[in-house]
Amino acid sequence: MNKLRMGFAALLTALGGVGAAQAATIYLGGYPNQLVLFDEGTGTVKQKVTLATGLPVSMQLSNDRKKLYVTTITTSGIEVLDLATKKVINSFSLNTPTTKYRFNGGVVDPAGRYFYTIGMRIDKEVDRYKISKPHYIVVDLQQKKIVRTADLAPEDDTFSYRAGFMLSEDGKTLYVFRDKILVMNTADLKVSERLDLAKPDLSGMENVSFGGGVENIRSTREYVSLFNATDPYIHNKVFGIARLDLGTRQFNFTPIGPAPDSMAGLEVTPDGKEGYTVVTTHKLGNKRCEFWRLDLGTNKVLATQEFPCRSRFQFGMSGDGNKLYIYGASYNIEVYDAKTLKLEKDWDLGNDATMAGMVIAQ
Amino acid sequence: MKHLRPVNRKAQRIEASITAAQASSDQPSTEEDIVALQQAPRPHVPMGCTLSFSPGWEVDAGGGTAGLCQPVERDIYDCYVTCFWPVQVPDHVNYSPDWASNCAVATKDWRNLDLVFP
Repeated sequence: MNKLRMGFAALLTALGGVGAAQAATIYLGGYPNQLVLFDEGTGTVKQKVTLATGLPVSMQLSNDRKKLYVTTITTSGIEVLDLATKKVINSFSLNTPTTKYRFNGGVVDPAGRYFYTIGMRIDKEVDRYKISKPHYIVVDLQQKKIVRTADLAPEDDTFSYRAGFMLSEDGKTLYVFRDKILVMNTADLKVSERLDLAKPDLSGMENVSFGGGVENIRSTREYVSLFNATDPYIHNKVFGIARLDLGTRQFNFTPIGPAPDSMAGLEVTPDGKEGYTVVTTHKLGNKRCEFWRLDLGTNKVLATQEFPCRSRFQFGMSGDGNKLYIYGASYNIEVYDAKTLKLEKDWDLGNDATMAGMVIAQ
Repeated sequence: MKHLRPVNRKAQRIEASITAAQASSDQPSTEEDIVALQQAPRPHVPMGCTLSFSPGWEVDAGGGTAGLCQPVERDIYDCYVTCFWPVQVPDHVNYSPDWASNCAVATKDWRNLDLVFP
């Protein structure tokens, strides 16, 4: 247990510079082609931005938190929103009349010039569609076109085009998160290292899998995520927090406890002291969901609270850490108080939200 | 592909072209290459609507209704975008990109969705 506490102490140290956030703007993807800007303070939609390239399916905040990069599926587009003016400053589609692309998410280099992702190309031929395997794609956001592609190595060919991406601060190293972590050189799109987490160099754990990143504590220096792992003897599953140093490529894990059936991400308060997650057990008609509030200093579960959950949902937290959000696959956001874990209110977005997630910024 | 046989002219031409290509190259035979989707190695399944065979959205994977989307009308959209149920809803990415353009909220505005005859 002391080891665990030391791990969380290190996490808290890393979170020290996060600072308290104020009530801010929630950015959500909305049907049919909208970016919904929702005011956390008043609980109202304050603006909708129409995306010329169609339905938003992923969003990513720039490292300086001044721009929002949105990918759209309707015409395989990329749109860049300036957060100060709330205006779209770049918008283009990769499709042509005979060629389409499929990609979901990606990462933009620190200079804001190149967008890295994995996608598929679909060519319309005379009598059929020719569909490529997933491959690396680099999009030049200034030229508004694909400037480089590369095949996945045969040993990585189990990847779909859905993956998590991060870039090092210098933009020279691309990290691709799937069943293993691929460390790639952006210069030639070659894999320089594979961090196979099935057998990490750590006693008592195997088959480690990273989850999504923790947006509130996103950093250009490290990737922080929930993880699942099994022990190599009786194969019990545990969950915890994983951290990958994007500069040194070192990763470490801090186990917390037995893993439930599934967990919906990790949200951390701006001061880094408390974490929240949603634990789901059983399925379909027997499905049960609970909020878990974690003290990240003592590694204890402070409170749990069952709530009526949807079949599909996403979990988020307000910018100030005082509210928890259940949203996605619907037109509303259910707002829960983070301390009491009780439902407070329901916000109507006016548009069905896509599964692009939620970005909170000023 | 010995378990399947072509029943129309296009399928017969596809089979003939594959056979001819294999005869003129070192490609391995396609005999015995059928693998179940849940087995390893997983086959390459390109994204396309005609490859999904889910029976319908009136029931969930367990035969009940508790696992359906809530609100249930929202299932329309996630099937429309991802081609999950290709027969019941139009195909967003291939022939009906504007099908939902008049319907921001499926639960409230579903009457604005248009009929599509592909």
